[in-house]
Amino acid sequence: MNPLDILLQYWPRLLDGTVMTLKLTLLGAMIAALAAPGLALVRTQASPWAQAPLRLYISFMRGTPLLAQLFLVFYGSGQFRPMLQDLGLWWLFRDPFNCALLAFALNSTAYQTEILRGGIMGAPHGEIEAARAIGMSQFQTLRRVTFPHAYRIAWPALGNEVILLMKASALASVITLFDLLGRTRQIFSRSFDFSVYLWAAVIYLCLTAAFVFVWRQAELRLSKQFTGRVLPVTPAPNPKETTE
Amino acid sequence: MTQPDVILRAEDIHKSFGNLEVLKGISLEARKHDVISILGSSGSGKSTFLRCLNFLEIPTSGRVTVHGEEVLVKNGRPQNVRHIEHIRASLGMVFQQFNLWSHRTVLENVMEGPVHVKRESKAEARDRAETLLRGVGLEERMQMYPSQLSGGQQQRVAIARALAMEPDAILFDEPTSALDPELVGEVLKVMQSLAAEGTTMIVVTHEMGFAREVSSEVVFLHQGRIAEQGPPDTMFTNPQTDEFRRFIAKVM
Repeated sequence: MNPLDILLQYWPRLLDGTVMTLKLTLLGAMIAALAAPGLALVRTQASPWAQAPLRLYISFMRGTPLLAQLFLVFYGSGQFRPMLQDLGLWWLFRDPFNCALLAFALNSTAYQTEILRGGIMGAPHGEIEAARAIGMSQFQTLRRVTFPHAYRIAWPALGNEVILLMKASALASVITLFDLLGRTRQIFSRSFDFSVYLWAAVIYLCLTAAFVFVWRQAELRLSKQFTGRVLPVTPAPNPKETTE
Repeated sequence: MTQPDVILRAEDIHKSFGNLEVLKGISLEARKHDVISILGSSGSGKSTFLRCLNFLEIPTSGRVTVHGEEVLVKNGRPQNVRHIEHIRASLGMVFQQFNLWSHRTVLENVMEGPVHVKRESKAEARDRAETLLRGVGLEERMQMYPSQLSGGQQQRVAIARALAMEPDAILFDEPTSALDPELVGEVLKVMQSLAAEGTTMIVVTHEMGFAREVSSEVVFLHQGRIAEQGPPDTMFTNPQTDEFRRFIAKVM
């Protein structure tokens, strides 16, 4: 079959899969983004003992395959079904979408926490001291000085993390979810036309390119805030962003 | 007990970093309109002492009293964080490295404290910030970012930022040491006019000219103790200790 015919025939399914991929990625990244600042603070300020559980969690999430984590949540939760039912949490784990979202959010939280920790440590010490010296509370200092710097520093790495998560979200197709790759496999199993995989690749590429564009615009605005002028865009390609 | 015009009193301040005792019992009193210059060679503890006054460093022992209220410290931690924040808001500080907030414009830097610490209205804070920036000769630069200014201009913004809080005294930590020689004068001029207006200032400095001509009192620190103290005229013309004599000979 003509590759275009495949697209014309199956585009509603591909679109449906794309929406699912976006939902998984953006929701997962956003949940992680909500959890990361607090955890990054624990990583930079708490005593070694107090942050030991957090470090263990981060090591686990960064040191084991995401697919294994996904299986742990999806199949592992089944083992504890009676207990989860008692706790009234079974509805959450019954749905593969929730399982995938949970696994992605937990995984991305670990990465975003570490990225943001680097940003916090890079915030200029003198400016933090100036905030304290003028009488700001600790919370105000974090909000008005430390975190604006931390996010500016961490911004490119955070964008990279979201892109990696978007591509990793294809794993969701393994636990019966019809994300973009899941739909693609479904279409292939009916049509036996390999070109549908190429279309999937094109869609992934477009999603990534669009995201990179939006993220870079935000980055320019951030850096403009810090220097009063728009910095020239460095055209250095990041191989991780586009080819992985 | 305390005289009404005593703004700040430090009594027997000790500070150790690990086994190293940097301050070995320093006492100092600042009254309204005083301009106190703290001199000393590097490592004498003068910056550490200044930072103990607004608790950027917590003294190991000793008492700091601001407006007759003692700041209570227990086990190396302030007992009342709010009290310390309140004191910091009433004591301006100007740093050697300026430490302006690089993500805010000059005007925002000066408005930040009044709006977010003293909870003034933005309009009120903006009015005063503009007046202050005009006063230090930076009315043209208000919408710029710190990185677009020279060191001397940045330090003048930092002084305006401290003044915007309407502090009872301002602490200067080597305010001209990071500046190119040709930029030192513009900052000293601002400080000089502040002194003339009666601003209470405690200044850690290497500028002998400033210490000699502007300050009302000079304190010379040597190895964590006050080696000599007095009005600048007599101290510079008739130093009493060998340490101060050697120091003068080296820097002048």
